[in-house]
Amino acid sequence: MNLTGEFVAFFILSVMAIGGAVFMINFTRVIHMALALAFTFFSIAGIYLLLNAEFVAVIQVLIYTGAVSILMLFGIMLTKHRDEEKGSIAPWHSVLSFIAAGAFFGIVMWIIYRTPIAGEQVDLKQFGVARLGEAVFKQYVIPFELASVLLLVALVGAVILAKKEER
Amino acid sequence: MEQYLLDFDLKVMAPELVIVSAAALLSVMDLFLKETASRKVIAVLSLAAVLAAGVFAVMGFGHPPYQILGDTYRIDSFSLTFKVIILAGTALVLLLSLHLNKEEIETREGEYYYLLLTAVLGGMVMVSSADLITLFVGLELLSLSSYVLVGIRRKDLKSNEAAWKYVVLGGVSSAFILYGMSFVYGLTGSTNLFVIRDRLMQALYSGYDLFVYLALFLMVVGFGFKIATAPFQMWTPDVYQGAMTPVTAFLAVVSKTAAFALVMRIMLIAFLPVFSPQISVGVEKLLMILAALSMIAGNAVALKQTNAKRLMAYSSIAQAGYILVPLSTLGFVLFPSLAYYLLAYLFMTLGAFAVLDVVTREGKNEELHVFAGLHQRSPWLAFAMSVFLISLAGLPVTAGFFGKFYLIINAIGREQHWLAGVMILTTVVSYYYYFGIIRQMYFRSPASLRPIPVPWTAGLVIVVGVIGTIGLGLLPDTVLQSLGKIDWGSGFDLAKNAVRQ
Repeated sequence: MNLTGEFVAFFILSVMAIGGAVFMINFTRVIHMALALAFTFFSIAGIYLLLNAEFVAVIQVLIYTGAVSILMLFGIMLTKHRDEEKGSIAPWHSVLSFIAAGAFFGIVMWIIYRTPIAGEQVDLKQFGVARLGEAVFKQYVIPFELASVLLLVALVGAVILAKKEER
Repeated sequence: MEQYLLDFDLKVMAPELVIVSAAALLSVMDLFLKETASRKVIAVLSLAAVLAAGVFAVMGFGHPPYQILGDTYRIDSFSLTFKVIILAGTALVLLLSLHLNKEEIETREGEYYYLLLTAVLGGMVMVSSADLITLFVGLELLSLSSYVLVGIRRKDLKSNEAAWKYVVLGGVSSAFILYGMSFVYGLTGSTNLFVIRDRLMQALYSGYDLFVYLALFLMVVGFGFKIATAPFQMWTPDVYQGAMTPVTAFLAVVSKTAAFALVMRIMLIAFLPVFSPQISVGVEKLLMILAALSMIAGNAVALKQTNAKRLMAYSSIAQAGYILVPLSTLGFVLFPSLAYYLLAYLFMTLGAFAVLDVVTREGKNEELHVFAGLHQRSPWLAFAMSVFLISLAGLPVTAGFFGKFYLIINAIGREQHWLAGVMILTTVVSYYYYFGIIRQMYFRSPASLRPIPVPWTAGLVIVVGVIGTIGLGLLPDTVLQSLGKIDWGSGFDLAKNAVRQ
């Protein structure tokens, strides 16, 4: 394996992403968890950038690292955040979940490595943001409009579930 | 040639356009109404919108299939039939909701109705598209609206718990579906179901078969959650119990029908290559296992339920198992028998929920013993409930009997005798709990002899339910023949104006 800059960057970013995820599970304070999660999100944005998906990377930073993390921090600040997490209900429960998740991971990895998807080199300029916008507003305009109804529903739902009762 | 949205005949989208404009207008109208004013007018207008959409959908029959922008929207006999079933179910649910008073929905009356409309919009999109992105957005629109509808009673602890469970498990199932879809897209490079079918065929025979199975498996897990089949049914009883009864009826009938149409469309177009009998882990076997497990688990657990809504939830899990039988066996009368059963299911389930609603509301209790002595209190109500229960159990002269009979024909025709056996056995088991309610109504003495007040809207739903259940049972051949005349194949073929990439 030749050591290119890309490989080094990928290595660092994935260690950061996995590390953030592991810390997020192991921390006991909620605020630390939220920060660890933000760290993971940010590293994943870096991986997208390595894959030449600039748009997705920017969106990842904006939505996940920015909006979602801030929202979580707000949520934590506005609620009781001093509670330390209690241990899980039964010890065998976490063991079982670990085995199930591990087995699933193993199977997916095995399938991916057994038949690597062969792809030819393509001109990356074809896949710019302009093409993406064109696809969204031409071919996929119906789901795009539906997504706006979806956002409306989410907004209305959030308001009626969170609104304080007057009177 | 590149095509734009305005190049197409948008009249075919009339049902969706009616519903989406009604939802938008009613939400604005809700803002202008006084806080204390009744929102009945919104309810009536929503009902009118649903009926208008239904009329447009019926008018669409008889035209050749038509697609817009690479099948992101398509209209054909398959989608129209399902759309009519969905809209009919919603109209009955709206009727059933009309007598809900302000306190019950905690002054969120207006929102309740237009969220119901957006949920229906999602359902309608799910049945009339052959593109993974549109299908998924429709699914999420339906799910998201349902989450809010389930949790709309904020002061009710059960409702909160139900909404919470529904959001978490619904989110997990969506993630599974999306993960499966991402593998499909990675393999085929397309979101159009027809293109996916052709390329999956190539992938299957050029060494990528494991990816195909992985995608299939992930999607079946997700769909299993959405149509509430075992072993992914654990959310159903809690959600059905916690939601208001009309919402429960909506989830049991409309959501399930829409999700089922989506599963059929994806499995019978995109995954058709995996359906062939030479393949050891094909769609058929997976779905058959799901069907058998749901029938067994649903009926077995229902035996020891004492809460009426939980009992109906387990019954609906079992019904999902029955409904899966024709699809999993790819029977000879797949579509007519399925449409017949879904119609029967619509009438009997909505009727049963309507009776359940008025009885539990009067008794302020959801345990089975609220039905005690119903025969002496309101004989007609007891009679209607008996009709629905007999139909759900699948005994003769009701729609449920012929429905189940046609479903079994599919299994026997394909020589899947074990599946037919499981279906017959579990049906016999189900008699016990359905007749438990009938026993309560006729052979137990009531706590009081006061007749149960039935609001005329709920009464109308019950009457429609009884007429539908018995009518379908008296004329099964006529109905089945007219359902057989529908051009079902058009739902799974390229539309006339399709452009191949």
